[in-house]
Amino acid sequence: MGSEIYKTTKTNYVIGERERGTIMDAMQIANSIPMWIACAIPVGLIIFQAILFLNKSRQACADIGYPDEKVKQAMKSAAITSIGPSLVILSGMLSLLITVGGPVGWMRLSLIGSVMFESLAAGMGTQQVGVTLGTDPMTPTALAMAVWTMVLCSIGWVIFATFSASRMEKVQHKITGGNTKRMALISGAALIGCFASFVASHLVKFNKEVGSFYFAKSAVAAILGALIMFIMMKVSAKNKKLAEWNLFIAMVGAMILTAILPIGQ
Amino acid sequence: MNKKDYYENEYMPKMHRYGKIIGVLGVLAAFIPCIVLAVVFGAVPEWGKLPAAFLTGAATFGFLWFMEPIGYFNVLGPVGTYMAFLSGNISNMRVPCASMAQVSVDAEPGSEEGSLIATIGMAISVLINVSVLTVGVILGSVILSKLPPSVTGALGFLLPALFGALLMQFGLKDVKFALGMLAYCIILYILIYIGAFSWVPPQFSLSNWLPIISAVFLGIAFKLLTNKDVGKEDAAKE
Repeated sequence: MGSEIYKTTKTNYVIGERERGTIMDAMQIANSIPMWIACAIPVGLIIFQAILFLNKSRQACADIGYPDEKVKQAMKSAAITSIGPSLVILSGMLSLLITVGGPVGWMRLSLIGSVMFESLAAGMGTQQVGVTLGTDPMTPTALAMAVWTMVLCSIGWVIFATFSASRMEKVQHKITGGNTKRMALISGAALIGCFASFVASHLVKFNKEVGSFYFAKSAVAAILGALIMFIMMKVSAKNKKLAEWNLFIAMVGAMILTAILPIGQ
Repeated sequence: MNKKDYYENEYMPKMHRYGKIIGVLGVLAAFIPCIVLAVVFGAVPEWGKLPAAFLTGAATFGFLWFMEPIGYFNVLGPVGTYMAFLSGNISNMRVPCASMAQVSVDAEPGSEEGSLIATIGMAISVLINVSVLTVGVILGSVILSKLPPSVTGALGFLLPALFGALLMQFGLKDVKFALGMLAYCIILYILIYIGAFSWVPPQFSLSNWLPIISAVFLGIAFKLLTNKDVGKEDAAKE
């Protein structure tokens, strides 16, 4: 109840008066040119990092005599793999466009972003000033709370990752003794462990309200993805050109089949 | 200079330096929208209430700040760690793209070439991710919101399908190990959901990090212990 009074007083915010007497509401601020510029700077930094790391690594490949055709092949394969997940992230941006505006949604999903985190963090910020994200109209104060909370809660990852990377490398070096074969063993095991846990998280779904496990659509998708991939790997065993598209076909094929088939909840 | 020397003494020190500088710049740049909101529009948070909002977030995500970089390190490597945590979307984009780039050229993960190729793949995924988002945000909610719910609903199945396919891609080379890891993770999730870990305070959000980090390190320990003869014998112990 207190929040409603709050809303009405806060929407008539003073900032609007600078704009020749017109009232500028929170979403106009969120989608304004200054905000686009402010958000373009961090996005620009991400692009800069990607291009810098790409160039330095390509240079290193050239310097150790790694064939450039292979580098190009790897780039192409990464690009094909990127398409599907990019669309998923894009569809997630839709909810952020509505709640915190285009520029912030765009920046947050380019920088340290993940859709689930951003919406949760934004909601935690606005809740403190009595605005429920997606239900109540946004106020300038709530917008500031949302953006500050998203930023403050996300930099922990970057700070820890950035300053622990060389230390973790030293630990890894100790375990492997710098031996490439042992490094390969570790990375291969880590990768399978990683994907196994991702798949398991989609296979095992639990309904808290009913208190029982259920066979989810996401489990169907994971199983179909694996099956189609198996078929594709057999079919494309001798065809490199086709093999490039294995993952894409498995991913999209399984997605469509899961949506069509009446299996799972 | 041989390959290993060049990689360790030329490339890596440079990348560590860039990674750290850009990481710090990234943290600072993230605050620019906050500053513009305050300076240009006078929109500031209620300072007295911001700590409560931050602490709610820290209680929910704080553990992940440490667990995710540790858990993903053996997959991403140091250079990948710098890039992945600044750009985000790690499980759904960076890891799949880095590993598929390696698969496409048969580069061994963990080798010098493998790490370079993974970094290249990840950089490409960042560029495509940002491009798609940029095009999307320019076309705006107008077009996005016209997508029928069946399409947006179906997109929710893309990631589980991707992970299933990736596990098949990598697990097929080592079927028993992959099935073992999968069984372990499934049992762990079931135990978490039936409340076997209910003594752990909920803000540690176990299901978000325990399966991945324990699977990665159990997997590594298992492989090292069962392959003591690979590489130097004296380095077999952790």
